[in-house]
Amino acid sequence: MDEANVIAEGSANEAASNGGLLALLPQDGILGRLFTMDAALTAIRVIVAIVLGAVVVGVIVTLIRRVTAKRMDARTSGLIVKVSQYLGLALIAVNALDAAKVNLSGLLGAAGIAGIALGFAAQTSVSNFISGFFLVSEKTFSVGDVITIEGSTGVVYSVDALSIKLRSFDNQLIRIPNETLIKTRVTNITRFPARRLNINLVVTYDTDLDRLRAALMELASANQFVLRKPEPLYMVQRFGDNGVELLFGVWLAKEDWVNGNNSVLADIKRRFEAEGIEFALPARTVHSKAATAPRAKQRAAAKS
Amino acid sequence: MIWRSWPVPRNEGTAVHRTGGATLCVSIEQAGDGDVLAALVRYAEDDAPGARRAAQLVLPPLDDPAWSRYYSGKADHYELEPGYPDIPVCVRLHEPFRLPPGADLRGWIFSHLEAKLKVSHAIAGTFPLKKPFKTLYGSPDAGVICRFDEADFLASDEPATAALHEDPSLVAHPVRLRNSSSDPVLVEELCIYGEQLSVFGVGRHMQSERLLFVFNSSGVRMSLEGQGALPPGAKLLSRPTVSGEERFIERSFELFKAITRL
Repeated sequence: MDEANVIAEGSANEAASNGGLLALLPQDGILGRLFTMDAALTAIRVIVAIVLGAVVVGVIVTLIRRVTAKRMDARTSGLIVKVSQYLGLALIAVNALDAAKVNLSGLLGAAGIAGIALGFAAQTSVSNFISGFFLVSEKTFSVGDVITIEGSTGVVYSVDALSIKLRSFDNQLIRIPNETLIKTRVTNITRFPARRLNINLVVTYDTDLDRLRAALMELASANQFVLRKPEPLYMVQRFGDNGVELLFGVWLAKEDWVNGNNSVLADIKRRFEAEGIEFALPARTVHSKAATAPRAKQRAAAKS
Repeated sequence: MIWRSWPVPRNEGTAVHRTGGATLCVSIEQAGDGDVLAALVRYAEDDAPGARRAAQLVLPPLDDPAWSRYYSGKADHYELEPGYPDIPVCVRLHEPFRLPPGADLRGWIFSHLEAKLKVSHAIAGTFPLKKPFKTLYGSPDAGVICRFDEADFLASDEPATAALHEDPSLVAHPVRLRNSSSDPVLVEELCIYGEQLSVFGVGRHMQSERLLFVFNSSGVRMSLEGQGALPPGAKLLSRPTVSGEERFIERSFELFKAITRL
């Protein structure tokens, strides 16, 4: 070991024993100016603020999630959890900046400008988010309901802060922004326990309507899917171009909708065939003038 | 009395249990090292009119989906237990009547039971003992889907009451109706929540607890009013699946949710 190395090692040991590792950095360099004891303490404060904040926010959000999941529907619960998460993150950020001794007034000014820019950029997202609150207050649907929006029908699969997801009956995922739900007509098909199946029938003019009514009522009362109450609806609607137009409505429990639909329609066809009742097909009555034509010909022939 | 333990019909083909208008058929076939118990129910109204019941019983093959199949392992016995449908029963009275304000009326109604087929104390299937139809009790926007049934409102000493007691597919409900509103109410259907009720049996008679229906301005509510007058020697055949307190708490929470729209 040469003399120069011995001197350097000796001075490093002395520095370490006097000022810790920071003393190893050259005092007039960039790293020396950045990594002061004060900066280290500030960094520790920031880290503690972030870690503690994350733990506290995590506990609070978990509690909110558990409480709301038990007492509210998935949509409301999800929105409340999301809002509390964003608020918590904002609080952690402010607290960390405060711990870092950052002048927040300047930052707030900058944040204002950035906010305007972000506001324009995130206009749609914010609109969707706020629309979500209106939807929650209206309680039009919840997870598991079957709804129709703009021609798309499906089971509500999930409800999120910005959109809802539907699972269509042919197993496709459809995402619909909350804003669309506010603006357009939403039909909740399974909101109520029972639905009426409306069957439009057109029968020929020679059909005995009393016998038809009796047959329809009888098949409805014999069908296991048709509810006994409310009673079926039978209404002669009009004398149409092709036959007598009728509305026959039977009530089904919402869970029996598909089976009931198939069963009732099959029963009607079977019963009509058995009773000799005919469905009216598009028909035209043609009046022929052939009876007069030969006379004209006869007159013409007599003259000649 | 069909409500007891029965040997698995390993060598006798299909076991047939007849109750009222329903016939419950139980059969068995081998599946691996164990057995599969297959059961189905037939209703008298589905039979061809005029056909003799015994001659009419033509069963589908055991691989037909009409059979409910349940793996029963090596069990030697299965039990038949009476039970209520898993949805409420709406009993429509054949002859509706008006109940004046303040009136307090006692009587009997009967409703149809379900047969619970159990293997090693586990439910292998439930079979309605009357062809099941549904109805809506209440309004279309807030009603309840119920099993439909029809009955007369009978007095204890009517001959019809004794005759109905003999039907093994029926359970008798001692009923008390009270109109606490200031207007007459029309009693045309009564909604029974079977999940809260027991079935007590004496010989072939079966009976539930006494039901109290209180009519007031906000509607009608069913509650239990003790066991009623049980005949001596009555034994418990089936317990309630939900206690009255649980049901009360559930209903209160539903009401709270409806009021607050939470």
